Order: sequence, then C-alpha cells, then structure tokens
Amino acid sequence: MSTMKYVLIAVTLLALGTAAQAQHDLQFNINYNVNIPSGSFRDFIDKPAYKGFTAGFAYPINDQLRVGLSAGYNDYYQKFPRQVYSEGSGSDISAVVSNSVQQIPILLTADYTLTKKGFVRPYVGVGAGVNFISLDQYLGEFDDPHTNGKLAVRGEAGILIPLSSWKATALRIGGSYNYAPYNSYGINNLSNWGIHAGISVPIH
Amino acid sequence: MHKKIIRLTLGALLGMTLLNSCKKDPLNNLSNDESRIYITNYDTTASFSAYATFGIADSVDYIQDNQFVGRDRTTFDSTAVTVVAQMMQQRGYQQVAVKSNPDLAINVSRVYNTSTGVFSYNDYWDYYGGFYDPYYWGYPGYGYYAPYAVGVYSIQTGGLEIDLLDLKNAASNNNKIKALWTGLARGEQVFNSANAASQVNALFQQSPYLKK
Repeated sequence: MSTMKYVLIAVTLLALGTAAQAQHDLQFNINYNVNIPSGSFRDFIDKPAYKGFTAGFAYPINDQLRVGLSAGYNDYYQKFPRQVYSEGSGSDISAVVSNSVQQIPILLTADYTLTKKGFVRPYVGVGAGVNFISLDQYLGEFDDPHTNGKLAVRGEAGILIPLSSWKATALRIGGSYNYAPYNSYGINNLSNWGIHAGISVPIH
Repeated sequence: MHKKIIRLTLGALLGMTLLNSCKKDPLNNLSNDESRIYITNYDTTASFSAYATFGIADSVDYIQDNQFVGRDRTTFDSTAVTVVAQMMQQRGYQQVAVKSNPDLAINVSRVYNTSTGVFSYNDYWDYYGGFYDPYYWGYPGYGYYAPYAVGVYSIQTGGLEIDLLDLKNAASNNNKIKALWTGLARGEQVFNSANAASQVNALFQQSPYLKK
C-alpha cells in the first residue's frame, strides 16, 4: 500500500510538472461558432449564422493570462418574400430581397483564466482589430455588393475543460458579444451575439 | 514548433477560404419568378383621372444598347401588348386607334443593354425619340421628356419596358411628349411568353394610382 502511495505521489508530481510546462506552450484553438445578429443588424438579417468558425493562437504570459491573434468567419443570409418597396418620388420596386453578409474579424486577443486549476476553468477574454465585411443586397437577381474594413471588438466568456491533468489540451465553450460598427443601408452596426465550442491545443 | 504554427495558420486560412467559397449563394436560392424585379415610376404631379383614352402600338420596339433595332411582334410581344391594353381598360380608360388622338400613348419595348453592363433609364430616355418617332402618334417635331429617373442597376439581360405618354398636354408642355408612367420588368426569362401576362399584371398591381 505504501509503495502504491509513493508511486501515485510520484506520478502526480510528474503530471503536475508536465502540466505546468505544457501550460506555457503556445496554444492553438479552433472553434465552431453560431452568431445571432443584434441591434440594427436585425433590420437587415435576423437569422443566425450557422456557418462560422474562429481560429487563433494564444501565447501564455503566465498561468492565467494569454495574448494572441484570432481570425473568424461568419456567413449570414436571409431571403425575404416578394414585396413592393417605395423608393419615394413615385418610384416603386417589387422584388424578392436577399441579404448576404460575411464577416472576417482579425483580432488581437487577451484571455484570462479565472482559476489556475480545476476540472472546469472559467475564462474571460477581449479582442480588438479589423472586421473585413462583405455585404450584398439582391433585388431579385440584381445585387449591389459592398466590401469594407471596419473596427471589430469582442468580449467573451466561457469555460475551459482540460481533457487531462497532464496536458494543456482543453475543450473551450463560451459566448461572446461582437461589436461591429457599419454604415450602409440604414444599418449602423453588424454586431452580434455568438456561442462557440471548440478545442485548444498546445503547440510544442 | 514554427513549422507547426505555419501549418496550422495555413490550415486555418485554407479552411476560411473554403468556407467563404461555400457561402450561401443567394442566386442559387432563387426561382426564375423570384429573380425578376418590377420597377415603376410615375409623375407625381400627374392627375391620371384627367385622361380618358389611350392608344397602344401593336408592335414592340427592340432596342439594343440604346440603338433601335426594329419592331417585332413575337408571341411574347403580342401577349404583352394585349394585356397592357386589358389592364388599361380595367382601370377605366378607353382604347382608341393610334391615329384617333388618344389622350395617352403606350409604347412597349424590349430593351437589351449588353455593352455597358449598366442599365440607366436616362440613357434609354435620351435616345427615346430615335426609338419612337413622335410622328407615329401624330406629333411630328415634338420631343420626349421624362420628369423623373430610376436608379442604375446592374444588367446582363434585357428588360420589358412599358411607357405611358401624355399626348393630351403635349402642346402645352412646350411641344414635349411627357412620360407619365414607366414600368420595367427585369430578370430570368423576362421574355418568355408564358411570363408576359404576369409581368404586365405585376407592374399595374403596384401602380394603383393609375386609373381613370
């Protein structure tokens, strides 16, 4: 029994040592996202974007704080039934309107894990950078595409679930608010709420 | 480690590119009917109830890149002309022969613009006298003029254009034949004869003010 106890202590210490080492490796994370339009974005599209992902690197400053770079992609689309739109001054257009928005936010990020250890480790994060936006409105088959680079700011919170005690690989689940100013078609922002699930792996 | 970072970065970029290429293409989710748009414009100063009769050209002008190509009367053309006349009668106007001094003239055109990639109503209107000789309506020496314009839309295909012109007041409008109402249908299969009636109908439906 005492031998087993020593073996367990030795294995635990070894695992902790590896984990401490692993926690200082650069992390790569990739997440699947679902994003839900908010604010005046909903006047253009109110359906969630089910095609979305985020990928990024995070460099650990210490056991809890990481800074990094993140890139994301979200595809929003909505088709509206035929309707007559009055353009004023006697002009009316009847059309099936299809709205399409793709956002690619490239952000500098910082994540802070609230606990150093634990089966579930809550974290909060912020990011800021450039949002590459492709916005297109189709009247029937005729479109009017716009491409812009705008500010993007993200705040997020979630949990990390380490897959084992001796590796820094963890599941990453959380939600975010993505602030995305814009100014066209009477829309002043393309901000959205997001939920994400993914994995964070160390790079040795 | 650097190689791994490069591989992961390239993988992420590739994934993003692939995702972007399989973005939902709105055009793939449109039926031919949904692809079509109907644009109407009218002179907001006009009193449509002040007119009683109309005449309509029984053939359709074929206009390519602002050039008059010729007059035609395909199944589509005759259906469009017939339905326009029916709609006008339903709105309380009486059809008379073209040479019987109608209050209103109606021209129906098939407009194709392929060289510029852009359809501008003003371009079409600038050349209008070349498509429709005012003599046809019994107004030799008169010009045409539209008091309004529609926006500019991308175009690769043609459009069905219907123009309602004020002959009654042509002399008092400084010898100008003024456009009172214009209707434009554009989109997939716009010149399919099976769609002619529904397209004309759509243009009149969104113009409830156009009545005696």
